[in-house]
Amino acid sequence: MVIREGDSEKINQVLTAFLGESGASEALLIDRSGQLLAMTGANRALDTVSISALAAGAFSSTGALAQLLGETEFTVLFHQGAKESMHVSTVDDQAILLAIFGERTTVGMVRLFAKEAAISVGKILAEARERPKDIKEMSTPLTAEETRTGWTGFGEKKP
Amino acid sequence: MAIINYAQKVINFKVVYYGPGVAGKTANLQHIHRSLPGDSKGNMISLAAGDDRTLFFDFLPVSALTVRGFTAKFQLYTVPGQVFYNMTRKLVLRGCDGLVFVADSQWDRLRENVESFRNMEENLREYSYNIDEIPYVIQYNKRDLANIAPLEYMEFLLNRRARRVPSFEAVAVNGDGVFDTLNTVSRMVLVGEFGQEKGADRETA
Repeated sequence: MVIREGDSEKINQVLTAFLGESGASEALLIDRSGQLLAMTGANRALDTVSISALAAGAFSSTGALAQLLGETEFTVLFHQGAKESMHVSTVDDQAILLAIFGERTTVGMVRLFAKEAAISVGKILAEARERPKDIKEMSTPLTAEETRTGWTGFGEKKP
Repeated sequence: MAIINYAQKVINFKVVYYGPGVAGKTANLQHIHRSLPGDSKGNMISLAAGDDRTLFFDFLPVSALTVRGFTAKFQLYTVPGQVFYNMTRKLVLRGCDGLVFVADSQWDRLRENVESFRNMEENLREYSYNIDEIPYVIQYNKRDLANIAPLEYMEFLLNRRARRVPSFEAVAVNGDGVFDTLNTVSRMVLVGEFGQEKGADRETA
């Protein structure tokens, strides 16, 4: 999937509006394979790469649990902490939305506005996925040099 | 599934280390994590049971060179090797761009290797991946042990499809062969996504 600058802007607008309405502090849009697609929120040092991988893992494992009960999936996953909580919900079959929130809002508010945000973000992602993967920088095949991924100092045998 | 983000100028790939239990998948990631400088790796996460066996997955994000203005990032995952964890194994495979099959070279583990390889094929099929198309390499690990099968025999067991894939001997706990494996699979993933000049590199053809 290619996320263009325009897609990023639109997604950020939706996520920013979601934070304003819900009172959550951060919103992460995550691909179900574990990769972070977009993030908006308070400017603090969170390990968003790890959060994305773990949240996608937890959500997919919850989905497998749902299937054991004959459900298609559980659409919401909620973790409550003493000060901070986490709400993860379905966007579409390839993405999830994670919200981190504190004491200034409630899970009900987050759930309500996450549903609305998911619909808007889902449309943007669907458009991005349907678009032909036309990347001008990659229009010519890579040279052998360009595919050397940069760990050659770590024991790769010379071809 | 590769995710190309123009705003961040980043391309994200997912590579999964597959193989039977205790073959050394986690040891591969641990060596990579130990070896790479801080700016080209993130935190390593291990979701392991009490006996150090992987329960869900290990996860290590690493960055490679910049390719035409985009930073190539690889998210490395391992699956739990034990047979009865198939459900979680399948979940980890989701959206992968490339695979490393880590085989245990010991004679008494050969059967588990073959079973795990078959299981990988089945699980890939469920995600509509074709084993003959997805980039993967095979690593024959534990080559330092005494009771190991010859390389030719391991190749005969695991690498005899019409498309022969690159394979590597390794002693992952010491780091031998770990970066050969990673470099090759990451190169194959890049070429798989964007193509490569004809004849530029036989290894990835």
